[in-house]
Amino acid sequence: MSAVPHPGLAVPAAGDGRMPDPRGVRVTLAPGAASADLPPLVIEPPQTPLVPTARVTGKGLLGGAAPVRPAPPPDPDEHRHVLLNEIPTEAELLPLDAERAILARGGPGGTRDRLLLPTASAPGAGRGVVRREIVVDGWRIEVDVEPAARAALRERARRGREAVGHSGPTEVHAIIPGVVVSVSVTPGDAVTAGQQLLVVEAMKMQNELRAPRDGTIERVVVGSGRTIEVGDLLLVIS
Amino acid sequence: MATSPSELVASPSLHKDGVSGPPFPRVLIANRGEIAVRLIRACHELGMEAVAIYSDADVCAAHVRLADRAMRVGPPPPAESYLRIDAIIQAALQAGAVAVHPGYGFLAERAAFARAVEAAGLAFVGPPSESIDALGDKLHARRTARSVGVEAVPGTLEPAPIDRPDQVDAIMADAERIGFPLLVKAAAGGGGRGMRRVATPAELPAALVSGSREAASAFGDGSVYLEREIRPARHIEVQLLGDVTGRVVALGERDCSLQRRHQKLVEEAPAPGLTTEDRRHLHELAVRVAAAAGLRNAATAEFLRAPDGAFYFLEVNTRLQVEHGVTELVAGFDIVREQFLLAAGRPLSEAALAAAARAAEPAGHAIEVRLSAEDPGRDFAPTPGRVLRWTMPSGPGVRVDTAIEAGDRVPAEYDNLIAKVMVHAGDRDATIDRLRRALDETEIAGIQTTLPFHRFVARDSSFRAGDLSTGWVAEHWDGPAEYRKAAEAAQLAAGLAALDAALTAGAAMIPADPVIAGVHPTGNGRWQRSGLEAAQDRWPR
Repeated sequence: MSAVPHPGLAVPAAGDGRMPDPRGVRVTLAPGAASADLPPLVIEPPQTPLVPTARVTGKGLLGGAAPVRPAPPPDPDEHRHVLLNEIPTEAELLPLDAERAILARGGPGGTRDRLLLPTASAPGAGRGVVRREIVVDGWRIEVDVEPAARAALRERARRGREAVGHSGPTEVHAIIPGVVVSVSVTPGDAVTAGQQLLVVEAMKMQNELRAPRDGTIERVVVGSGRTIEVGDLLLVIS
Repeated sequence: MATSPSELVASPSLHKDGVSGPPFPRVLIANRGEIAVRLIRACHELGMEAVAIYSDADVCAAHVRLADRAMRVGPPPPAESYLRIDAIIQAALQAGAVAVHPGYGFLAERAAFARAVEAAGLAFVGPPSESIDALGDKLHARRTARSVGVEAVPGTLEPAPIDRPDQVDAIMADAERIGFPLLVKAAAGGGGRGMRRVATPAELPAALVSGSREAASAFGDGSVYLEREIRPARHIEVQLLGDVTGRVVALGERDCSLQRRHQKLVEEAPAPGLTTEDRRHLHELAVRVAAAAGLRNAATAEFLRAPDGAFYFLEVNTRLQVEHGVTELVAGFDIVREQFLLAAGRPLSEAALAAAARAAEPAGHAIEVRLSAEDPGRDFAPTPGRVLRWTMPSGPGVRVDTAIEAGDRVPAEYDNLIAKVMVHAGDRDATIDRLRRALDETEIAGIQTTLPFHRFVARDSSFRAGDLSTGWVAEHWDGPAEYRKAAEAAQLAAGLAALDAALTAGAAMIPADPVIAGVHPTGNGRWQRSGLEAAQDRWPR
């Protein structure tokens, strides 16, 4: 395989300039343009244990599973494995220049597709999500790329919202630790599902917390500036 | 005609090759897009000045940049700009043009435009208005064909009397004689408008009424007639040239069977699978019809070829065709250049007569694909927008006619055709190989085009086998499935690119020394590990 060093493919930056997570990314077809209903694809690098032999047990600082680190940056190698939706697969992107690449799948005897990854990024898809255009065999395809961890978090939050019933008061708990930056409702306010309730800053990111259902604010437990932990009661909607 | 075109010849002096000087000093090109660019190039080659017209949507378009002068004719909608006969004639007179070339589409086959050009004392580069009138009416063309013994597609020769309730039985009798399924077609039609397919007698009345209504709104003439549906059929057309002496020659035929919604997608010359005798016979039929209609300049006679090999006359297009380039490549002859010379009243050139003499035994093969701003995954729906990347193929035997550059916008107001990729080689196999290679070099980003369809065609075994018919696209092309395959690859590629970029960026923060299992070169204190974990854990889970 080619050992020529390459500058790598330019990746359009996300709206807020953060890099995608090297622990894994989730790629979905951008809504609207797609005429195929492809499921999201989660791509993770092969996970290599950092300290495979000295597994620490017990309740110490390093208790639990051995820490993992992402694989080192890749050299062009057709034999590179990645996890596609948790299934190990041989797939490698071999850049030709800043906008062209060859997608090699299935090792040396597998398929090789030439594609175009224009650097001009499509109109932003939202915070932390990069929308970009890929041209494969003349097809122009728009995809949304975001860190898999972030997508999983959102997915969990969505399932949580759906699990919430519509009878009786609903307690809204914190799903991430952080500091409450602002509270936009007061007791007695009528809210609709999806309306912003408060903003929590965690890891230098402002996360909006939205109403899981329609209702009236019965109680607001936290105030702005308060530090919260996962599971803390924030407010109650009736 | 107020002025004979031959009086407008700029300079009587002879070039050293025997051809007298430019046929006209200045020509107005009444069109836009790739065909306007093609025509302006021919003007410049003949030493003529070209005057472009433009709408407000085309202020910076390629044909405006290439022309020697450009005249605004109106706002973006075609009816207010490129279809405005008065504004275009005025622009021509104001710019001092002495001839007008209509290209294809827009006003090219409007006899009223040809008449207006002639009445203004300008030369119309195309067939005379009487020919356009006579051949534009498909029923008249069918009657003309019959009068010279050329068999048209079986059907009626007079408009169906749909407004006469007492004639219903007569129409039904005609339909039974023709046989089902049949087609209801508009006498003034084109592009499939006013056309209805009728499978059973019960559907006929509704098809006649709706077809007639559509024809009346599209062409201002609701006349419809019946025609047998020939299926599977091949669409084969003959390129014709005629001069003022009434001489008409055929330059060769093209196969345009690959169509969707009666719009051509792929054209090739010569038509595969014809013998020299077939070709002579077909060319002779076409010349006979055109000569009977008094054709001059350039036109195309269209035929259907039934599975048994019989040719049925369909219609004559009294204009330069989109796909004229494949005939140019195979014949080694410039049709547009000849059009200007013929419009100036000159006889058919030696080159044209030589090309016509070779037409039945063509040397070489050419294929054209029409790159359009359409989504072949969604039934060829239009996809106007801004082209971000535009790399057209080149190299041996490749010709690209286009008016697009990277950064240009494809306006929603006009035709979706953005480029014609033509390839030319010694035989059909080599031509298809060249087409595949050329399309692999083609890179377009920003808008979806028909490129995936054409790449599929260039690899398809039935296309290579010459197994063509007007139903080919519906039978062979599964757009959504092809899109899905590409989308899977795109998902994977986008993910790998993002991951590789993240890993490369992360590598800068990982110590250069390798971490050996259990033993860090500078110790493995818990604080150190904790710090490393914290550094790696800075992304939200």
